[in-house]
Amino acid sequence: MTERLCASGDVAEGEVFQVDLGDGRILAVYRLDGEVFATDDLCSHGDASLADGEIENGQIVCPYHMGTFDIRTGEATGAPCSIAIRTYKVTEEDGAIMLVG
Amino acid sequence: MSETVHRWMEAYPELGSGPISTEPYISPEWYEKEKEKIFKKVWLCVGRANEIPKAGDYKVKRLAAADTSAIIMRGKDGKIRAFHNACAHRGNTVVTETGEETYGSSKAAIVTCRFHGWVYDAEGKLKQVPSEQRFYNCFHKEDNGLTPIACDIWEGFIFVNIAAEPETGLTEYLGEYAEHFAGYPFDDLNYGFTYYTYLDCNWKVAHDAFAEAYHVDTIHAGSFPNVFSTGLQNVKLMGPHRSCAVCLTLNAKPTPVSAVANRLAGASLVSQRGESMLPPTINPDKRSDFAFELSVLFPNTLLHISEGIWFTHQFWPIAHNKTLWEGRYYVKAPETYSQRWATEHAMILQRNAWLEDTATMEDTQRAMQSRAKLEQHLQDDEILIRHGAVVVDQFVNA
Repeated sequence: MTERLCASGDVAEGEVFQVDLGDGRILAVYRLDGEVFATDDLCSHGDASLADGEIENGQIVCPYHMGTFDIRTGEATGAPCSIAIRTYKVTEEDGAIMLVG
Repeated sequence: MSETVHRWMEAYPELGSGPISTEPYISPEWYEKEKEKIFKKVWLCVGRANEIPKAGDYKVKRLAAADTSAIIMRGKDGKIRAFHNACAHRGNTVVTETGEETYGSSKAAIVTCRFHGWVYDAEGKLKQVPSEQRFYNCFHKEDNGLTPIACDIWEGFIFVNIAAEPETGLTEYLGEYAEHFAGYPFDDLNYGFTYYTYLDCNWKVAHDAFAEAYHVDTIHAGSFPNVFSTGLQNVKLMGPHRSCAVCLTLNAKPTPVSAVANRLAGASLVSQRGESMLPPTINPDKRSDFAFELSVLFPNTLLHISEGIWFTHQFWPIAHNKTLWEGRYYVKAPETYSQRWATEHAMILQRNAWLEDTATMEDTQRAMQSRAKLEQHLQDDEILIRHGAVVVDQFVNA
């Protein structure tokens, strides 16, 4: 089963885009080297939106305290963040980015 | 007394004609009064809105004469707001300042205090406090946002007023001055340079050095030889603000290189062009020798506009005998290499003139501090200086 997240064009290379599914789930969708990824949008440290952060070397930098997470694995890679964020399997087909599962 | 040689005294007899005391230029006590009665009370120009074009862009401006620094930030709603750069936790600066002006950008439109990570948004609200549960019940996030500073925009210029409750709004404060300059294409002419330095002089010494054209024939003989000689025209005093036209002699011969540069750029103060971009209030008589409008937006901003070029000088008091000078020069962005060269030529000419201007200021201050002379004598074309002294006196003694 797949669920549409956004249009492919919403997520430029090296950028992150917030998708609010309207049911409490808010995801951050990324494009790295042409491939798309998704994580929870909420930082596990503060209550920041990671989609408001900047991407550096495959990591999302939280805008509040500059903690970082690996976009591909969700692992917390920089203090003050220490708790991993959830990642989601996504795919891209027919000009849309889809959530798988 | 002829009408032509004392025309400004005749137009503005209330300013008087006597000598002006040097005491306000050298007295630390007077400076303390200026801080309280002027710089903490009136609207101060702190930048251009296009310096912080995107949501989350911010600038921190130190305002020593008002004993604070202002965070000026554009929110996600596009609105520019100002706050004191002071954290509600233990008073640290929220944005770490790297100098008189510190620029930054946050995609999230927030600023984070680097001491303990308190996060504030562009509306000043305290968004997040790490380990918030350890604070006591009497602590409420909603009561501990950034302290706002009154902020407003005129013609793309950002103003702040440090007073908790400003006595007037910006529009009322600017009054007729705003109408005088409205419509000039400040935003279209946005290519240029900024110079700044600290000068060991009172801010009014710096103001005075730029607020007359009497000095041009002598001190600018190198950079602008024999160009200004018809003096001031259209002096207009508008509340605490003042303006006038500075005129030039058309028959002055530019050097061959300057002539080429003028033709290409049209960005020097002494070049001539046909079509006017000036508001109808500027040079209303269409004088052919009009060079530029010289104005003082009280207290410390000098704004000059001309065809194809505008520039400002700002004199920020640091102490009674120390001033931060910021000179900014703007023209239209060049489109060709030859225009680029001509613009650089004009900018360098201007730089040289400013270096000549600033060269006198520290000497003036030292000489005034000797108290060998306790008064200064002003001629009729130094009317803007006289008006400045009278206005400062009125504010300080209000």
